[in-house]
Amino acid sequence: MKSKFVFFSIIILLLFSNKILADDKALAGADFEYGQHLSGECVTCHNSTGLGQGIPKITGMKTAVFIKKILAYKTKEKDNAVMQMVADRLGEEEINSLALYLSKTK
Amino acid sequence: MAKITRRSFVGIMAASTTALSMPSIAFGALPRVVVIGGGAGGATAAKYIAKDSKGAVDVTLVEASKRYYTCFFSNLYLGDFRNYGSIGHNYYGLAVNHGVNMVHEWASSVNSAEKKVYLGSGATVSYDKLVISPGIDLKFNSVNGYSPEAQSIMPHAWKSGTQVQLLKNQVKGMKKGGTFVMVPPPNPYRCPPGPYERISMIAHQFKKTNPTAKIVVLDPKNKFSKQGLFMEGWQKHYPGMIEWISADTHGGIKKINTSTMEFETDLDTFKADAASVIPAQQAGRIAMNAGVNKGDWCPIVPASMQSQADENIYVLGDASIAKSMPKSGFSANSQAKVAANHIRGSLTGSKVFTPRFANTCWSLVATNDGIKVGANYDAKPDKINKTSGFISKTGEDSNLRKATYEESIGWYSGITSDMFS
Repeated sequence: MKSKFVFFSIIILLLFSNKILADDKALAGADFEYGQHLSGECVTCHNSTGLGQGIPKITGMKTAVFIKKILAYKTKEKDNAVMQMVADRLGEEEINSLALYLSKTK
Repeated sequence: MAKITRRSFVGIMAASTTALSMPSIAFGALPRVVVIGGGAGGATAAKYIAKDSKGAVDVTLVEASKRYYTCFFSNLYLGDFRNYGSIGHNYYGLAVNHGVNMVHEWASSVNSAEKKVYLGSGATVSYDKLVISPGIDLKFNSVNGYSPEAQSIMPHAWKSGTQVQLLKNQVKGMKKGGTFVMVPPPNPYRCPPGPYERISMIAHQFKKTNPTAKIVVLDPKNKFSKQGLFMEGWQKHYPGMIEWISADTHGGIKKINTSTMEFETDLDTFKADAASVIPAQQAGRIAMNAGVNKGDWCPIVPASMQSQADENIYVLGDASIAKSMPKSGFSANSQAKVAANHIRGSLTGSKVFTPRFANTCWSLVATNDGIKVGANYDAKPDKINKTSGFISKTGEDSNLRKATYEESIGWYSGITSDMFS
């Protein structure tokens, strides 16, 4: 019974997250202005012109790609001490707001 | 006659950089922000207020230099990893892209009652909100025998520019097998790992051209930032070259003599062939003049970076007491964004978000051997509070150290673009 519940929960979550990733209008709590504000923290290192070396450009990144990368740092699946620390304090609203803003910025 | 809009007028002013020869009555009800100091704090604050207010706030940046040489990465210039030109930046981007009025003068005094800044030329500029981000001044007399005159013999090179060029010339010109003496500053000071990265870069220089040279470090402290990492790196890359002597071991620097190049301590008298002395530090003079200091530094309200002494003045970067953040370019840049958001909110009613701060300091120990330390912070009523952090580990593999160095190159490109373009 319990395993069935977990199974269906995962299916529902997957469907839900796929929907979120497919459509940035559905990004929960995403706010463009908040994303722009939060991005101030990113551009200290991520060159806004995309000409930096050693640190990738993040503006123009698709929302699904950005969210996947940030979550990989958050779960420490992806390795980089600075990015793990950055991701650590970003909640869902913040991640989605950043994803929205960065996806719409060159 | 074509109507001059505010936007085109700002453009004209920015292009001519003669804002102060204009009467200060322009723009009617437009709120005015004056920023003193065009470094990591001031340049960032000016840019973000101008950029995000989209013309609703008039921003003037007062910075004496037309070309700004960053203190961060000046050590890499000492080690030949950067050329001097690559650490210099101009302010055209702020003027042209964001309409910041650039005023290349010294701010000589602040009248906080009248909300005016007096400039070296005698002109004045009025503000509704003032940002003071002057960096540090050096307390020359904190080391007995050191003085403003002595800085040409034993450069502090703790403000970037010609001092760093002078130091590099002295390092490269030191006699073969000679001794370089370095005196780091006491806490608190600009860039905690900086003196030890400098030692690394000087050692790197000696290893190439003067391999029998020695470096003696007479530290007024008993421990320092990233100590384990630096010590490990010195042993690995420069074995036998660097002798770091703690305060408890040498018992204090009693006197230095710039004629004989001698450093007198309880332990011994050390004779140098070349030297760098970094004295104790305090907030830049204009902060003292504005009366926003308490002793050597300026207390701030953590949530906004407003001065505790005057709600219309914000103090950023090295000059502020931003405990628990270190005095660094990254910290100043982070604080500037918090202040810019708060200033814009109070002048235009725009949304003020929960403040969040961050810092990371990268250091280079040797070719492709980068290390880093960093932390996140939030604002508590009494301090900027560290919420999490990390530091490189001793014994890391060379690929990770190389990636860390490359990351620091990317960061330099990022932060200077964030400040100046």
